[in-house]
Amino acid sequence: MGRYVMTLALVIAASASPVRAHHAFAAEFDAKKPVKFDKAVVTKVEWTNPHSWIHVDVPLANGTKEAWAIEAGTPNVLFRRGFTKDALKPGMVIVIDGYRAKDGSHRANGRNLTLPNGQTLFLGSSGTGAPAS
Amino acid sequence: MKSAPRFLPIAILVGAVTIVVSAQTSKAPRTSWGAPDLQGIWNTNTFLPLERAAKFGTRPTMTEEEHAQELAGLQERNKRPGRDSRDVAGKPGVGTEKDVARAYNEFWFGDKPTKLSYSTSMVIDPADGRIPAFTPDAAQRIAAKKEFLAALLQGTSGGRPGSISPRRGDPSPDYNLDRINRADGPEDRGGPERCFGNGVPVVMGTGTFGGVMQLVQSTDSVSLYYDIGQGSGFAYVIPITKRPHLPKNIQLYRGDAIGHWEGDTFVADVTNFSDETDFHGARENLHLVMRFKRVDAHTLSVQFTVDDPTTWTKSWTAVQELERADEKTTLVLEPGCHEGNYGLMGMLINTRAAEKAFREGTGPNPATQDNATGGGDN
Amino acid sequence: MATRSIWRGVALAVAAIGLALAVSSIRTTGESSTRDARVADGHPNLNGIWQASNTANWDLLPHAVHPAVSQPGVYANHPVLAAPVVALGAVGLVPPGPGVVEGDEIPYTPDAAARKKENGERWLDRDPEVRCYMPGIPRAMYMPYPFQITQSANKIQMVFAYANASRTIFLEEAPLPPADKWMGHSVGHWEGNTLVVHVTNFNDRTWLSRAGDFHSDALDVVERLTPVTPDALRYEVTLTDPNVYTRPWKMSMVLYRQLEENATLMDFRCLEFVEETFLGHLRKNQLVKHWEGDTIVLDVTRRVPEGDKKYER
Repeated sequence: MGRYVMTLALVIAASASPVRAHHAFAAEFDAKKPVKFDKAVVTKVEWTNPHSWIHVDVPLANGTKEAWAIEAGTPNVLFRRGFTKDALKPGMVIVIDGYRAKDGSHRANGRNLTLPNGQTLFLGSSGTGAPAS
Repeated sequence: MKSAPRFLPIAILVGAVTIVVSAQTSKAPRTSWGAPDLQGIWNTNTFLPLERAAKFGTRPTMTEEEHAQELAGLQERNKRPGRDSRDVAGKPGVGTEKDVARAYNEFWFGDKPTKLSYSTSMVIDPADGRIPAFTPDAAQRIAAKKEFLAALLQGTSGGRPGSISPRRGDPSPDYNLDRINRADGPEDRGGPERCFGNGVPVVMGTGTFGGVMQLVQSTDSVSLYYDIGQGSGFAYVIPITKRPHLPKNIQLYRGDAIGHWEGDTFVADVTNFSDETDFHGARENLHLVMRFKRVDAHTLSVQFTVDDPTTWTKSWTAVQELERADEKTTLVLEPGCHEGNYGLMGMLINTRAAEKAFREGTGPNPATQDNATGGGDN
Repeated sequence: MATRSIWRGVALAVAAIGLALAVSSIRTTGESSTRDARVADGHPNLNGIWQASNTANWDLLPHAVHPAVSQPGVYANHPVLAAPVVALGAVGLVPPGPGVVEGDEIPYTPDAAARKKENGERWLDRDPEVRCYMPGIPRAMYMPYPFQITQSANKIQMVFAYANASRTIFLEEAPLPPADKWMGHSVGHWEGNTLVVHVTNFNDRTWLSRAGDFHSDALDVVERLTPVTPDALRYEVTLTDPNVYTRPWKMSMVLYRQLEENATLMDFRCLEFVEETFLGHLRKNQLVKHWEGDTIVLDVTRRVPEGDKKYER
């Protein structure tokens, strides 16, 4: 059984197919700079490969707001699981946490995202499917 | 009619063969012009490893008992947390490089396979179901590249202990397609991160991450479209033609494909690959022959034979059976990757920023960080 | 009696083999089929490699010769080649063309017209073609590079040499895309000899020409492809986009089948090459800095924008 698993791992390592081909987040984002936004308002979603980008306006204490871009995963899996662009639309209020870009810009690697209906992406069971709507 | 008795046995034999042949192929649909119909949207939800586990020896098929055992093993592995676990060495990993690298969990890699093939491997030749050994030269160049990768990880959380290697200033010993622990320029980030797209042949993965292959066919050509991975899909037209291959000095990422029919099998012969190609270690000298056959209404057999005397000691052949997906409901998505590749830009920008911070004394030396493996899981 | 029925069976079998062989040798090898004006189901044969033969990708409207990148010259209305193209000489010019737009006018709203003008002036920075991005529809159809059509009863697949762009024209029901696409979603049907294609679900990222013609994500395209000879298709396109145009407008041109025996669709793979163009400023050590010809010396200075502007495309 152990050898079987090793074979699989070797295949993944050696294969031309980029099985888990997302880029190295650690090169972009800083583990020492966590961010969390409790009331981020979605302004635009770029449903692109290799990673979707969720643009949000984050309200600040002084009443102004700040624009942030949050990196998410490939949309293809979401789409095949029943999501459409309606699942995450401008105007929706979401909870996001993640790690900030090393250059201090308003970009972050999304770690957990909670949709208005309470569904959480990124963390949790792989049973998260399409939203109830 | 005088000759009839002499020819009768032959004619009956021919008649019988016709009946047998038409019975076999009647399961496989045909196009309106009479060719075997290879068309459809194809994917796989059945797990089948590329290479055979040694315990199966030279047996291409498992017994019922073995299948039950392997299936149980597969289900067990499916339950493992994998990327769902954010622990590092048994403790929560918040604030670690690994936590950043594992930002999204198993959900983003699609559903796990629940079916298991009775075949023991995709590789059917050589007899042991495993890819043949590398030639000595190939083994050497691959080992040299692995050593270069290891040198760049030396002294980081993802590599062997030691000081920062002076090789960090060296160029890659090959056309780099790996993810190396450096970001001096785009070439350091390797194929997938630069959105190179999958090469050929495609060994399809299972489920929603494995994606789909759409095949459209005419009397003139077979046009494949792969929608796989994170936008690593591509279009691939195989013309049915007698023209020769392009001159040897013309090197293409997915080679030069020429198609023809051999009975009911569509054969594509592909040469003229480039050093940006990498198929299990084979680069520009790869020679690929793909064979497509419509097995029955629900199954397309895709077989490939590869040879490269500068890489493997002999040729090898693997076969994958793809399952037909419903055309009315199955999504075939756009391949875009390069268009949305902020990630590559981000890696360069932020590495420059990290270098600047180090120069100014406000940040750690980027060379001491693992920006490649993500803590042991890419 | 038994012998006679055996004979009949055998005769039928032999005939069947003969027919099967005859059919398979014509219909599966397909060597002469691109010369057939019609395919098996009776529709015009669109299989093969096609290419437009005009300057529409430069500019859809009628245009005289002018520099691809301009700067003012000695005379007010005679610009000269600017630095990015001066070493190219005639190769750095936009060739003249009579245009492909009906009525010679693209009916932009005033705001959109201003943006188009800006796009044209800044096309090196803004044109998605420069980045090797997917060109969208209709632009992919008239870029000066070939594309190959594979035509079946329920789908027409087009693969473009440029950037490996592709699209499927669905002739039967197909699921709508879940998000907007660079190449749109194409649904087609035959009206006699004309293939009519309705393309929707565009994003707003593609252009229609290097002159800066653009659209929003509300773009709606209807294409009509009609053979004028077995090897030439009249290609007519009606574009509607209430966010950008004041009314629908139309372009029209002819697409030509490549008749060379060894015509081949080669992959015009640009993405590795354009990295230097749009990421070169982010290298640790600059690579493209200086170039010398006999009479021209070029020095390249890269510029990294500040803050979040670094990420803007």
